[in-house]
Parts: sequence; structure tokens; C-alpha cells
Amino acid sequence: MLEAKDWLARIHALNIDRPLRIMNVCGGHERSISMAGLRTALPEQVQLIAGPGCPVCVCPEEDVYQAMQLAMHEKVILVAFGDMLRVPVNVPKGEVRSLEQAKAAGADVRPIASPREAVQIAQQNPDRQVVFFAAGFETTMAPVAAMLLEGVPDNLSLLLSGRLTWPAVAMLLESGEAGFNALVAPGHVATVMGPEEWGFVVEKHHMPTAVAGFTPVSLLAAMYSVLRQSLEDKCFLDNCYPELVKPGGNPVARKHLAQAFEVTDSNWRGIGIIPASGYALAPAYAAHDARLRFPSYNDAERKRAGQMPPGCDCARVVLGRINPDQCKLYGTACTPKYPVGPCMVSDEGACRIWWSTGIRAAEHA
Amino acid sequence: MCLGIPMQVISIDGYNARCEAKGVSRDVSLFLLQGDEVHVGDHVMVHVGYAIQTMTEQEARSTWELLDEMLAAEGNDA
Repeated sequence: MLEAKDWLARIHALNIDRPLRIMNVCGGHERSISMAGLRTALPEQVQLIAGPGCPVCVCPEEDVYQAMQLAMHEKVILVAFGDMLRVPVNVPKGEVRSLEQAKAAGADVRPIASPREAVQIAQQNPDRQVVFFAAGFETTMAPVAAMLLEGVPDNLSLLLSGRLTWPAVAMLLESGEAGFNALVAPGHVATVMGPEEWGFVVEKHHMPTAVAGFTPVSLLAAMYSVLRQSLEDKCFLDNCYPELVKPGGNPVARKHLAQAFEVTDSNWRGIGIIPASGYALAPAYAAHDARLRFPSYNDAERKRAGQMPPGCDCARVVLGRINPDQCKLYGTACTPKYPVGPCMVSDEGACRIWWSTGIRAAEHA
Repeated sequence: MCLGIPMQVISIDGYNARCEAKGVSRDVSLFLLQGDEVHVGDHVMVHVGYAIQTMTEQEARSTWELLDEMLAAEGNDA
């Protein structure tokens, strides 16, 4: 089996005669790339771009706000994946600005690691309303769908902020300034949904694409593939994670997703509405929709200070338009301890990942 | 996180499996692997408490090497 150094040697042996920008759309990929130091190990002409790969980062500010209001004013038990708790909303200074702060102020907010914990908490507290605030991409939404199909207690409802990964890539490609020349597609999304979902990048946009796993070996194999595809001007959809990514993905998981959810036009924080990019509960599960159970908190009228906090460049970081250290706040006003934007909060956020691998503030001219 | 954790199945009861990795055991749902035959001793990729795919022992080992490195790098976060 080839090792990472063999793949690097193969990449360096390619005659890369022009700048090539390879985008990944997965926080796990970005973490692995940053940790292994792949950016500096690759030829200078090759740039690795972190794209939309963080579901917490694009979770609409109004959804986080709504979760906080439910926790503070409806006295529900609010459960969410741990990452979500520190994401700040845009409120005047001094007001409660995250689920973590709501918890500190007395709200019953509990981090969970699995949808099954949400069910258990609801079963253990039959006299309380439990709201599961669920953000995530397909890989996370399939387990959430499974949870619903297995049956959930009446006192459990969902505030759903699930998103699909490929529509954001489609949006970038159709924007006329994609900002990248090749794509490394997300391994576990493809494990669930199948690699075929990414065929449009090749067929419609003639862009080299390879599905990758999370080890440096798998990532480098995918990078070698897309670089070679570029140089030979022959693009195809490569699968560099065949151990887990099978044709058609996981058919049971896809069936559950289709039964539990409908795909809808959805807002991405700081980016806007992307067509057919989000999950909503299917009519059969409407009784478990927190937005219907607590309708007075669907506060469309709420005056917002903006999608992202003032000065925060998370939206451009998410889209791969700038690197994390090109944001004015990176490492100065915004650090993991005192995050301003969601990209510095989530383990899948590019800013948090860059920071945790030791990259500090760039010189700002 | 999207990375997923490879675990080994140590017992199965319906759609529930007791799985183990690095000496830690957890209950894992096999609900998303209904079409697959999963046996005691098999390795599965676990994401938020659900097995999303079966995998070989070798693939499980190489993923764990990566996770070990990531865990070792934590604390660099201050």
C-alpha cells in the first residue's frame, strides 16, 4: 500500500505548470489537512481551500436565537450537539448571546453526542418538553432520521437546521466565480449518500473531483487524482475512499432521510437562501416540529443586527473566498476562548481548525 | 464531528450493538445498517451513536492512527 510520502512524491513528479486551487467541503478534511501540514508539503502551485464544510457555521442566526428563547422562556430542556452551545447570536452587549450563556443564566440546556441521548432525556423527563436543536449535514441528519423512524416520545420535538452539502458547491460553481479548479468531495457524506451526488461537478462544470477519506493517504490520493485529471484535461469522478464509499451510498440511510424529511430552500448564515439545500420535517412528523409546537417563537419580525457579527468575515471564510487568517478579527478580537463568529467556535470551523494547528494572526496591512 | 469513530462490535441485541474502541465501550445503533449483516467482531464507522457503514480492521486501524494524532494535538488550542 502506498504511504503518504509516496503520494507526495507522485504529486511532486507532476509537471504542474499553473496555479490550481483544490477545495474541500468538510471540516474533517480541513482538520486532517491542517494537522498533517499538507499545505506546505504540496508544490507551491497547489492551493488548498477550505470551503463550506461546517454545518454549525452556516446554521442561521435566527435558529440559534429561537433555541435560546425556547430554553429561556418556555422552560424546555434544550438539547443540542455540543458545538452549538457556544455559537454567538447578534444581540446588544450585555444580553445573553449563546446557549451556553442561557444555561449559565439558569436555562436547562444540555449538550448531547447522539440523537439517542435526546430520546433518553425525553423518556426520563415525561413531564417536560424536550427540544432537540439539530444542525448537521447528511451524515448527521441520517441518524436524526433514524431516531424519528424508530419512534420518539410525544414530549420530544425538533428544531431542525439540517443542510445538504452539494447545493452550496453548486451555488459556488454557478456564481461565475467559484474560486477553485478542483474538488475533494466529503467522504462520510458520500458514505451515506453515494459518490454519484458529486457527478454534476464533473458533468456540468467539467471540474476534476475525487471523494476522499480522512487520513493523509486518502486525501493525498484524491489530490493526486484531481491534479492529474487537471493536467491531462480528462475529468471524472474518482473515489479515493472505496473502503467506505459504495455505489449508491448507504441505501437504508437514504431511505430514512427521504421518509423523515423534505428538502427545502434554506438560509445559510451570512450566505443567504440556497435552493433545495435544507431538511425540514416531513408532514408525517409535523407533530414533532418545534417550530409548529412553539409557533410564537418563529419570530420573522425580530430585528436582527445582521447575519454575522459586525466585522466578522465568517461568511467569506465558509465560502473559501478568504483564508481564516485574512479576517481582521482572527486571533485578535476572535479566539476560541472568546469567539466572535461561528467559524471560531465549531470543531469543524476553518478558523478554529487553523487556530488549533498553531496558525496565529496574519500581518494586517 | 464528521470524522466518525471506528469501533468493534462486541455484542448485538436487535438494532443495538455494544461496541468498543480503545478500551471504551458504547451502545451503538445498527438501525442504518439494516440491509447489512453485522456480526460480533466486525468493525463499523460510528457517527453520533449510529453505525453508518461496515469497515475492515485495517481501515479502522488507519483511522485510529489519525484520531490518536488529533487527540494528541488537542491542548494546542488555548
